[in-house]
Amino acid sequence: MTGGHGPAVGPRPADRHPSGGRRVAVTGIGVKSPAGNGLETAFAALLAAGSTATRVDRLVEVDLPVHFACLVPPFDLDAYLTRRESRQIDRTTQLLLCAAADAVADAQLPADQRPDRVGVQIGTGIGGLPSMEAVTLSHGDRPRDMPVHTVPRTMANSPACRLAMRYGFQGSCTTYSSACASGTTALGEAARKIRYGELDVAVAGGCDSAVSTVVMGAFARMRAMSTRNGEPALASRPFDADRDGFVMGEGAAVLVLERWDTARARGAVIHGEIAGYADNCDAFHIVAPHEDGEVAGRCMQLAIADAGLSTADIGHVNAHGTSTLLNDRAEARAIARCFGRRPPPVTAVKGVTGHLIGGSGALEAAFALLCATRGVVPPVANLGSSPEADLVDLVSGTPRAVAPAHVLSNSFGFGGQNACLVLAPAS
Amino acid sequence: MPTREEIAVMVRTVISDVLGTEPGEVHERTSLAVDYGIDSLELMEIGARLERTLQLRIELRDLTEAQDVGHAIDLLETRLAGVR
Repeated sequence: MTGGHGPAVGPRPADRHPSGGRRVAVTGIGVKSPAGNGLETAFAALLAAGSTATRVDRLVEVDLPVHFACLVPPFDLDAYLTRRESRQIDRTTQLLLCAAADAVADAQLPADQRPDRVGVQIGTGIGGLPSMEAVTLSHGDRPRDMPVHTVPRTMANSPACRLAMRYGFQGSCTTYSSACASGTTALGEAARKIRYGELDVAVAGGCDSAVSTVVMGAFARMRAMSTRNGEPALASRPFDADRDGFVMGEGAAVLVLERWDTARARGAVIHGEIAGYADNCDAFHIVAPHEDGEVAGRCMQLAIADAGLSTADIGHVNAHGTSTLLNDRAEARAIARCFGRRPPPVTAVKGVTGHLIGGSGALEAAFALLCATRGVVPPVANLGSSPEADLVDLVSGTPRAVAPAHVLSNSFGFGGQNACLVLAPAS
Repeated sequence: MPTREEIAVMVRTVISDVLGTEPGEVHERTSLAVDYGIDSLELMEIGARLERTLQLRIELRDLTEAQDVGHAIDLLETRLAGVR
């Protein structure tokens, strides 16, 4: 660090974002993911590039076309939640609260933190639909016996509001639903709220747990999911020539975002920074991405510009990479449009984790921060040859060492939702 | 008609299930409001489950007015006797 030693009056230039607002530090991370239930465990699994997809007996029993998914490994729920709380919430909210507990513990917010300046910003693509599905199946023919907590358990903002309640965070509490981009949207919007002074701290991230008969059956009806039932571990293969659809995952990831100046002042451990964000919409097709990647590529450029950077500053791209032909091809074109002739290396974590829907963007942002700081690009699991190899520099086989640098993390969702974050390494 | 002791077992079981505790931790003198800070939805869930178990229409007032678990059991016993 350079800079003067004068009295700290107002935000110093070093604490200012290129937009003129405040810089946003990440001071806490918590994950409950198929790759692991602690950040370092999950990151090690990511670098090892082994898929976490496994056969799920209940999917086989109901004769779904898809027999496998990426599930969060069992952990001691009682260490996080009272049995009374657990009974009133669904798995999506449970995973979110547990990831948030880890993130908040990691951040070690000061005891005098004003609760009205702490917000909760959460993304979920599917929300309470799986628990509403469960109630429909169990009580659809006897509605008078429905559990009293059905509405609070299934409403889409339940995870965010339960989180706010748990800690008494009284700032802006918002639930974002931009399908598979929801977690990224939540982090980006949370960062904006801090950048422009609405919040001092945001507990932000995403969650979903939709390994259910109706939700998975519905995705399968669109042929969006892999049906590689004989080889689940080979099913999620972003950008690979033999991909046949995405693999459903579940989980939650939560980041504690904080004003850079106050985080520095209190000596917090800073994992990195949310430096840039942009979102836009293809406005083209309700589920298919526009195949030319023009709007998605523009979203990447806007996010990079928002960070006050140029494409040359981006060390690598954490792609959305779902392992569907339509996404991967359009995304490769979008990356090529954004970066032109000198594209940075590209990775995609869904080969390992599957697609956490609303949880994906937040989990991938957490991974991207570690990658940015440690100067490593994880290999794409199950990636052999790729028809997109002429457009983008895909990392396969083993992790690739790079200089610590900013990472662009992409999320694209049904509805044509595009959302991109630029994550800065810890300095 | 169930005995008071049988009603008490049912009540303590339902309460402990909703509150995530053990039946043995719910006593006659336990106050759901004071000891557990029970909210209205939890109380309604307890009422709904007891209605099913006891095959009895339960007025919400009986639940909200009960001073403690023992009092609620007494009220339910009275109601059951009235039905019979």
